[in-house]
Amino acid sequence: MKKTFRVANVCAAFLFLILPFAMACGSRAASGSSQAATPPDLNGVWSAPFTPDISKALGHQPPFTAYGASRFAKEDEIDDPLTKCLPIGPARGIQAGLMPFQIVQTPSVFTILFENQHTFRIIHTDGRAHPKDLDPTWFGDSVGRWDGDTLVVDTVGLDDRTWLDTAGHEHSDQLHLVERFLKADNNTIKWTVTFEDPKYFTESWSITLPITRQNTEIMSYSCEENEKDRAHLRRAKK
Amino acid sequence: MRNVSSIAGGLAFFLLMVSAPAVAHHGFSVEFDKDNPLTITGTVTKMEFMNPHIYFYLDVKGKDGKVVNWAFEGGPPNVIYRQGWRKDTLKPGDVVTVKGFRAKDGTHLAACSAVKLPDGREISAGSGGVSQNAYGSAISTDGKK
Repeated sequence: MKKTFRVANVCAAFLFLILPFAMACGSRAASGSSQAATPPDLNGVWSAPFTPDISKALGHQPPFTAYGASRFAKEDEIDDPLTKCLPIGPARGIQAGLMPFQIVQTPSVFTILFENQHTFRIIHTDGRAHPKDLDPTWFGDSVGRWDGDTLVVDTVGLDDRTWLDTAGHEHSDQLHLVERFLKADNNTIKWTVTFEDPKYFTESWSITLPITRQNTEIMSYSCEENEKDRAHLRRAKK
Repeated sequence: MRNVSSIAGGLAFFLLMVSAPAVAHHGFSVEFDKDNPLTITGTVTKMEFMNPHIYFYLDVKGKDGKVVNWAFEGGPPNVIYRQGWRKDTLKPGDVVTVKGFRAKDGTHLAACSAVKLPDGREISAGSGGVSQNAYGSAISTDGKK
């Protein structure tokens, strides 16, 4: 009985003296790691200016390869995938002008919800790398990391069916996008996108557009609900 | 008597509805002819406030007395909603004057760029530069940085 009482006393001493100290050390360590910088909050409804011709944002035509130039010369707006109600793609969706998008940001995933045809991008920010052996998809595979206040997004695995704009600037499945989202102030994100595609362009090139906060909510969109144009379309070029 | 007529100088107030201030379901030039403008006055028979473009239809009486039904295409409902349009902004029976551009295929179809309502109402909605939409936020629509 006396021995048990002594053990109990030692245990009690541990609980009342040592443990709180250990917990304080633990919480100090925890608060030390949580003192890492919190990324800027980009949640909200946003839009970048409608950019029907991406060469206007660049100031000149992109540096086409011979193949890219021959494709651009032939391309006709009647072949725009949007005309067939197909997805808009990751970068073109952002420069959609008066059709906004909503950013929903969590620590592990940064989502961009486009009003245009209610399509979306999922950008993983949990530190993962791109999967190997990606099959090309409409919006590709995006991973993002915070570089200070800038979200740097890397996207590969894009198939060649989207267009970069309305004017007919196309790309191949080798397209590699790098985007930088920098919150300039509470209502502005500076968005820089770099296009790399060795099949279409001799070197990578970049444009910068302002993404501005919109005082609106995402509205409904069904591209097929009353589609009446296709019967009337005519090829613009020969 | 409803005539296809030119706009007189006095009609100053138009409800502007531009067909491509946002990413377009299609390019303008694959369907409409910017070098073939028209101005028509008629009576609304139907309003379709739906994606991807709104459509409304006018009964238009020609000089020969025959009534032809014209179709007009506008922007996406989401876009013009933010510029002040509602699904009942045009109602069957309204007499309106429309400025637009004819379809290239020669059908009675045109892209609508401006509508004068019976009450002469005007909503500011720019096709370029910075425009204040119905929600009051400034949006640059001309693609400039």
